[in-house]
Amino acid sequence: MRRIIHLVGLLALPIIVSGCSDMGVKPWERDVLAQQEMNLISDPLESSLDDHIYFSKEASSGGQGFGGGGCGCN
Amino acid sequence: MADKDLEVVAVAVTKKTHKNRELAQLLTAASCALIGGLSQGANAADSWDVDSAFLLYSESDGRVSAAEPVISATKNFDEETKLTFKIAADTLTGASPNGATASDHVQTFTSPSGKGSYNAAAGEQPLDDTFKDTRIALSTNWAAPINRDWAYGVGGYLSKEHDYQSLGLNGSLSRYLNQKNTTLTLGLNLSNDTANPEGGVPTGLVQVPLSSSDSEFTQRSDAENKNLVDVLFGVTQVINRSTIMQFNYALSTSSGYLTDPYKILSVIDDNAGANFGGNFQSSGRDLYLYEKRPDSRLKQSIYWQTKHQFENDNILDVSYRYMFDDWGVNSHTIDAKYRFRFDNQYLEPQLRWYTQSKADFYHRYLNSSDYTSTDFASADYRLGDLDTYTLGLKYGYKFADETEFYTRFSLYHQESSGDKGYGKLTTQELYPGLDAAMLILGYKF
Amino acid sequence: MIKVHQGFAQTTLSSLVISCTFFSSALWATNLTSPATAKAAPHKTVMLPEYQTNQKISLEMEKGQVVLVDFWASWCGPCRESFPWMTSMQAKYKDQGLKVIAINLDQEKGQALDFLEEFKPGFSVLFDTKAELPEDFGVIGMPTSFLIDRQGNIRATHVGFHQKNINEYESAIAKLLAEKGE
Repeated sequence: MRRIIHLVGLLALPIIVSGCSDMGVKPWERDVLAQQEMNLISDPLESSLDDHIYFSKEASSGGQGFGGGGCGCN
Repeated sequence: MADKDLEVVAVAVTKKTHKNRELAQLLTAASCALIGGLSQGANAADSWDVDSAFLLYSESDGRVSAAEPVISATKNFDEETKLTFKIAADTLTGASPNGATASDHVQTFTSPSGKGSYNAAAGEQPLDDTFKDTRIALSTNWAAPINRDWAYGVGGYLSKEHDYQSLGLNGSLSRYLNQKNTTLTLGLNLSNDTANPEGGVPTGLVQVPLSSSDSEFTQRSDAENKNLVDVLFGVTQVINRSTIMQFNYALSTSSGYLTDPYKILSVIDDNAGANFGGNFQSSGRDLYLYEKRPDSRLKQSIYWQTKHQFENDNILDVSYRYMFDDWGVNSHTIDAKYRFRFDNQYLEPQLRWYTQSKADFYHRYLNSSDYTSTDFASADYRLGDLDTYTLGLKYGYKFADETEFYTRFSLYHQESSGDKGYGKLTTQELYPGLDAAMLILGYKF
Repeated sequence: MIKVHQGFAQTTLSSLVISCTFFSSALWATNLTSPATAKAAPHKTVMLPEYQTNQKISLEMEKGQVVLVDFWASWCGPCRESFPWMTSMQAKYKDQGLKVIAINLDQEKGQALDFLEEFKPGFSVLFDTKAELPEDFGVIGMPTSFLIDRQGNIRATHVGFHQKNINEYESAIAKLLAEKGE
């Protein structure tokens, strides 16, 4: 089971990356994405407080991410 | 060397939290010392962002209540170069289920330290009311670009409770592709934790002794260690002008002492007779065993998140996580938030649903006929079949000077389920639910 | 595990050292492209409205000057940082024939106007609300600047705005101004 998932992951990666090259926006079209509210984690403290509660009340934790997107400047 | 410096800085920071200006100066000095030559190019973007929040958490029926203030300060060297310090403190008080089943008679339990005892009335869920803790957590993170296509981050983490310490280091490397529409990120987190429980580390699956004078207590070690390694691989993709998506795969291994030293299990009498389904007797009293978990755990998770802004500027944020581990736990989490945006205010309803299947070694109780042949067992409801729901509403106000205040109220509900027992046990409530309320107040400046 | 930690700390430290070295060196070269291989700036005849005068002007109208064309938007942080610098460059090198033209790419012009109200540019600002120019210029990040010589050829490009590189940016401008038109 685990091996299958690893394999699927490996196969999916190039598909994701190549498929993604058709998506997206021009550098000057990032006005909406540049808004602070459009960050995937827009309120890090609120998220960390939630994570702390769920970590101490449930058997699962983590998995969430980090940045990417945004203004894409520089 | 580097992490030692961080530690010194972090400790100095705690002493100064009462005055923000002093803190800011100290952080500036610390960051300059840390980054040396880098900070010389003082410029317009040099600024501090402070993010602060306060959480109040309260469970119904006088169980756990907690208060947690957090403050984080970020120094922006330029658009993408940042140094963040964060301090969190929390205090917990109240009672927590010890794992034993409710019974038809009053039950007496030895307190974790072995220096006292507490009771549970007949038909009541046994709660350990000696539960009290204060935690201080410090963390720091540095993020910077390497060049136009690459960026990295490094961080350190330290937390301390009277019976638990954790020390962690993390790093991440990101690669931008396709005009920064695609970001690949690899993250690594290492942590080393030490548990030094009150009364020492109990022996798993051994009868809970009457007091600390018992030989089980005197042979205990003071502390046990746990090591964690987390690896995360993520793809962030800009879909269009108003939609962004992330897909992560995370692998997490923990090894060492993963048991909860304060949790116990009831042994139930499965011999036919008058006490069928009652507490099994050993040494002339009800038999409770300390729980014991395997000394390693491998967790994997898949996480997907999408954020979309509609034509009317409202924002939908949806995420899903599937987690599975070699303890047999599988879980699904769905989290959704919808932000209604008005000029300088917003209102955000939040909804979260979580469900998990039990760990292979989770047993609500053990049977008198076979408890001696058990390798691992825990009655911790957090490892059992569990469904949870969170319903929340957040309100935020943005001031003209770009500072922001927000508040959030949420209700959290847990439902446990599982094997109903036999004989006398069937009349007991084995899976009581839990309701909790949370209030967050936050201010960003 | 302790060994792992030490190793990790070393990696962390060395990555900090490496990044310091990275930052002290320039991310783009001061060297100008030679006139022989330089590409002509595209869309020289496209007329765009100017913020200051409300007149429509084109890049062709600046022929004979050294032109710094900067593509920017109000939501872009580094663009904000570059404004005072561009103002000072325009003032310092005006007499030697430098013309700074910042082309705004905001899709909603109102946001650009608010920004300009606040940052009062000391240089010419044009509105390209329909983004006619950036694609062919090859804008790959915000901001992107193009240094155009007196013959209308692109002689240097820089993506982003980094305070630590402003000396490099300026020396490229000075070098190009020193070149006399043949």
